[in-house]
Amino acid sequence: MRWFGFGFNAFGQICAQKEKSDEGEANTTEVKIISPTELSTTVDGSGCSFKTRKIQASWSRRVSLRGDGDRCVFLAGFKSFPSAESSGCTDAFISESHLTLAFQDRIETWNLQEEDKTPSWNMEISAQPESSGVNLPLAPGGYITSKPPFYYHLSAQLKAKSLALGGGHAVLLTAAGDVYTWGLGSHGQLGHGGLASEEKPRVVEALCGMPMSSVASGGWHSACISDIFLTEGGDLYVWGWNESGQLGLPSRGLWRASQHKSSQQSGEKPEESGTSLDGEQQEEDKHEEVFISIQAFPALLDVSQSCEIQKVSCGSRHTAVVTNTGDLYTWGWGEYGQLGHQTLMSSDEPQRVEFFKDEQMRVIDVVCGTWNTFAAAIKKDDAYS
Amino acid sequence: MASLWSKISAVLPASEADFPLQFSDTVQQSVVEVLKWCRRQLYSGATSPGQAALNAQIVLDVSWEKLNMGTWRHVDKEWRRVYSYGCLFKVAALCHEDPLVERLLQAVRTCDLGLLMGAAIMDDILQVIVRILQSEIRRSGEEEHQRDRAEVKRIKTESPHIPEIKDECAVPRIKCPSLETFKTSFLIPLRPVILEGIIDHWPALNKHPWSVEYLRSVAGCRTVPVEVGSRYTDENWSQTLLTVDEFIDKYILKKDGGNVSGYLAQHQLFEQVPELKEDIRLPDYCCLGERDEDEVTVNAWFGPGGTVSPLHQDPQHNFLAQVVGSKYIRLYSPEDTDRLYPHQSQLLHNTSQVEVESPDFERFPEFAVAPYLECVLWPGDVLFIPVRHWHYVRSLELSFSVSFWWS
Repeated sequence: MRWFGFGFNAFGQICAQKEKSDEGEANTTEVKIISPTELSTTVDGSGCSFKTRKIQASWSRRVSLRGDGDRCVFLAGFKSFPSAESSGCTDAFISESHLTLAFQDRIETWNLQEEDKTPSWNMEISAQPESSGVNLPLAPGGYITSKPPFYYHLSAQLKAKSLALGGGHAVLLTAAGDVYTWGLGSHGQLGHGGLASEEKPRVVEALCGMPMSSVASGGWHSACISDIFLTEGGDLYVWGWNESGQLGLPSRGLWRASQHKSSQQSGEKPEESGTSLDGEQQEEDKHEEVFISIQAFPALLDVSQSCEIQKVSCGSRHTAVVTNTGDLYTWGWGEYGQLGHQTLMSSDEPQRVEFFKDEQMRVIDVVCGTWNTFAAAIKKDDAYS
Repeated sequence: MASLWSKISAVLPASEADFPLQFSDTVQQSVVEVLKWCRRQLYSGATSPGQAALNAQIVLDVSWEKLNMGTWRHVDKEWRRVYSYGCLFKVAALCHEDPLVERLLQAVRTCDLGLLMGAAIMDDILQVIVRILQSEIRRSGEEEHQRDRAEVKRIKTESPHIPEIKDECAVPRIKCPSLETFKTSFLIPLRPVILEGIIDHWPALNKHPWSVEYLRSVAGCRTVPVEVGSRYTDENWSQTLLTVDEFIDKYILKKDGGNVSGYLAQHQLFEQVPELKEDIRLPDYCCLGERDEDEVTVNAWFGPGGTVSPLHQDPQHNFLAQVVGSKYIRLYSPEDTDRLYPHQSQLLHNTSQVEVESPDFERFPEFAVAPYLECVLWPGDVLFIPVRHWHYVRSLELSFSVSFWWS
């Protein structure tokens, strides 16, 4: 399994600087990586390559969790401190300010901005009965954030299974397949049909009766996949803000930008002929009902004909999914190359990342950082059908 | 003649060491790192403007995301400062080599975004720079504004339909009352009144009479927030950012033939364009308030005929000064609030559900018996709207008003 990354790389979190200049010249890395680039394999002390089983990324960093041998983490990107011993780590969670590590017997949160000798927060845990252990940011009895007091309680009745923390909101999946949301609601990201914020977890009623198998959250949007074992399954639901097309629904902002670009290219000057402005306005009015800027209830998104969605992940303003056919689709804000389509354009329609198809690779996992995307892929001949 | 870059350099700190970049812990070190890259590039001769612009854009993108998280009130001022720095670095990148008008306009827009959404940095340096940029633009294009004169004259000759004001409902008028008279007869008892003659001395009404041409010349290239849609209670209402020129072309002169309403409303234009501030004066009567005079909020209201502010109330006293054009205004006392059916939601609880000029009496029966005062406000008039007094405003023709919110 090989990991690839594309998008924001100003801190070398995807691929390291080509050469370190002593005067600290602003930066010689490629800030925007527009095509999937393989993450260089990390090598440990004894020369064995580090198999990455999980990746997570914040705005300026990426954390790779090692899947074999001495389980530990590798941090790439903006310099950071933790003198944390990560040996024996079962799970990791990174935010812009903190790194949380889970071990068999404890969970620790370290401040990435200070050279603290001790974690900012920690708790002891009893060895987990399930083999999977802790699923950060969920912790026994609650969850962990990156702001004091770090630990928040969650009712045991919820039977929390996985938690996605977005820009200002949270999306929780329960064992029963229900989705609960709370936090800021100003852009419809809670999915309750309005713009109100919620202090406590509230079930997304529109999805009741359809068990979900995974949830994801971005800056101002949320997504979930319906469980393939219980329903027609593998469907993707999205809700929240669509200003960059991150919901895969028609976005007025993107439409306007593309109109502006095409009139610039054809050499028209908008102020010269009154009619061209007129024409633009009429075109926009025609599409008027179609544009969606906020989707306050979950909407089913057709990513690709007769494909089941297996994984979903959200960046700040973009979304990525992996289908059962091993394809990676991305859409939303693309100005840092985070869509992987070899351009810096944003898109309000899901598009396949052709790189993997061209390389005859099957994508099996995807994780979005704030402005970048990481995908795990295997060669098609290695795949079991 | 000094190049644009040398003029801008002159207002920036002399060296990298003199350039402050201090932020609270809210701004993560990774972001400060990018700001440092920008600062270094600003003072090193070697950087390509493309690289500098790229880093400035990173700062703008990351702070923009913070500015849009949650309600505006809760946005940490530190992120607004970061946003302003982003604007500063972007403007510097745009102005390095002798830029053409297109670039200059982009730089002005960038300054304006920083002034509108950021927080003042380095002694309000964006304000200083935008003034330099505006004079640079004026130097390169005087002729453009002549063409519009004919069109404006055409719009002005259409005479508006003036509603008849019944005597028993008319807002009383008084000419230049003394502070004592105003206080005793209107302020203390919270009675609305139109003050006549108190702004005759405003340059906006004599020396520099405000007009569409004058506004274009002083602020044409400046970016301002515009409300689009018939009223803010409508589903399709939204806000957008346009230059004053674009606003005038699209919503005042209606060059594209569209019929959507646009209103430059509730905007502190005079903070953004200090030249306009010199054309108005703070009404003396504001000194009767308890708060300091520099806490008075001054807003501009500029739009075509037909703009509507739905019936609503504000938490402060208001002096609404009419400078250009006329407005129909209706006032209801806060004592009659129950008859005005305010919205229940938190967001709109200061706004009535009733369409004042075509009320639905089936849904809102009590509205028919709610007592009111009404008036037509003409240039030179100043309407005193006491705190929490409900008011409905419709412009009858091209109109420019200035409001003063004081306590």
